[in-house]
Amino acid sequence: MAYFNDAQEVYDTLGKLFVDLAEDEELAPKFRKADTIVRYEYREPESTITVRLQEGQPGDVDFGESEMEPEVVMSMEADTAHRFWLGQVNVTVALARGQIKAKGPVAKILRLVPLTKPVFPRYKAQLESQGRTDLIEA
Amino acid sequence: MTFKDFYQFASPTRVVCGRELLASAGFEFAKQGAERVLVVTDQVIRATGLVEKVEGGVADGGLEVAGIFDDVPQDSDTAVVTRCAEQAMEAGADSFLAVGGGSVIDTTKGANVVFSHGGAIPDWEGVFQLPRERDGMGRPLPLAPLGAIPTTAGTGSEASPVAVIKDSERGVKVLLLDFPLAPDLAILDPESTATLPAPIAAATGMDALTHAIEGVTSTEWSPHGDAHALHALRLISDNLERAVGDTSDEDARGNMLVAANLAIAPTGFGATGITHSMSHPCGARYGVPHGVANAINLPPVIEFNAVVSEEVADQFRDAAEVLGVDARGGGQRIGRTLADHVRELRGRLGLPGRLSEVGVPEEGISRLAEDAMGEGSTLVNPRQPSEEDFVELFQQAL
Repeated sequence: MAYFNDAQEVYDTLGKLFVDLAEDEELAPKFRKADTIVRYEYREPESTITVRLQEGQPGDVDFGESEMEPEVVMSMEADTAHRFWLGQVNVTVALARGQIKAKGPVAKILRLVPLTKPVFPRYKAQLESQGRTDLIEA
Repeated sequence: MTFKDFYQFASPTRVVCGRELLASAGFEFAKQGAERVLVVTDQVIRATGLVEKVEGGVADGGLEVAGIFDDVPQDSDTAVVTRCAEQAMEAGADSFLAVGGGSVIDTTKGANVVFSHGGAIPDWEGVFQLPRERDGMGRPLPLAPLGAIPTTAGTGSEASPVAVIKDSERGVKVLLLDFPLAPDLAILDPESTATLPAPIAAATGMDALTHAIEGVTSTEWSPHGDAHALHALRLISDNLERAVGDTSDEDARGNMLVAANLAIAPTGFGATGITHSMSHPCGARYGVPHGVANAINLPPVIEFNAVVSEEVADQFRDAAEVLGVDARGGGQRIGRTLADHVRELRGRLGLPGRLSEVGVPEEGISRLAEDAMGEGSTLVNPRQPSEEDFVELFQQAL
């Protein structure tokens, strides 16, 4: 059974994490070095998050339809994304198995992967504070 | 040895290897369903007369040469790919036969994608982006038959599911990785490297050496990859200097073609490392030939990686033993000994030993380090480097 019932749950959890990261004084400038716009297209449930990671630009995060034109599109099940941010998914393996599909200049996003490690406990803490421990224990 | 949580391996390219095979290119390519063949090459190769032999071989097998596209430059780009695909369509071709080095073969792979699925190269950029059944999750839709006759022994592109093509408009290299990109047929015949100049044979051979060593030590290593890479190292150890020292040595040249073909096997499935992360920007920013950059960058990277864990030290020990290098001691010792072996080999091959000798300025290092951090190969290196580590590695190589 999927972790999330509908797109709104994805936006309330994963989406909130992206919004918080975009405002983080320490991490946001590092992520913006990617200098790209990435769209995460999730399945089960269908949901879309578009993130601007561009130096000197605001850290926009859009849920659903967006006017931002993505350079990189990462598509996966929402469960895979959730498990990634809990530190349970090896990105290279997920790419090799086709669990994560990457369209566009993939290296721009792969360079960010080592930076995501400190975010894992943060996502877990966020879920706990939201009363969504069910998503951690499932 | 660890049992890996996951790896996958495929070797979809049928390899035909031996002597006097160019004359039977058509006989072999017909088995892949080819009928009207567009031969793709460059003008340097065409001037050697090799393409004429291949043409004859294609016709002798009952196939038709629909045309010859010989306009592939040394560092091909997406516009060339589009022209190549257009020529195939106009000529009524149904298949491609690449005769050349990595640039020719990657151009042909890209042209085949555009020819078979339409669009342009940027539309297909990425990992597993080619069209598939079951809404993109099932079996890949087929490409037109593609054969490759490599004329260098290094890139291994004739057997890899990867194509790297420059997009001059955007000023970037476009990566395509998907199973159908692996050619259907590779013909390895030492006659195809008979006119290869010794310095290029040396540099491309060091590229194969780098593929093999990084394939064994990457986080994405696999027992299947090791089986290919370690035998590639044996062949390189026995044949690279011979092939460079005496370009008429057909056995050595043939064995180097096999070595390069084997060495690419792990790399094609993501087992690579930061030698490549460093060498790609050296090529992009300063035009350093890929094999030369690898030959310079590999030794400091070996020393950097070998000390990270006992398991990685063991992997370097495996590589060292096959190369006939004293493999005793811990990670630091094995790293230093193997790195020195590579430095000495590079010197005997007459290749440059420092990046400063090939046009890389000291003031360029910080930018190179930044670029290297953004390379996909960095993620699968056995030791995660910081940007500062890359600065230090580039300084050692300078």
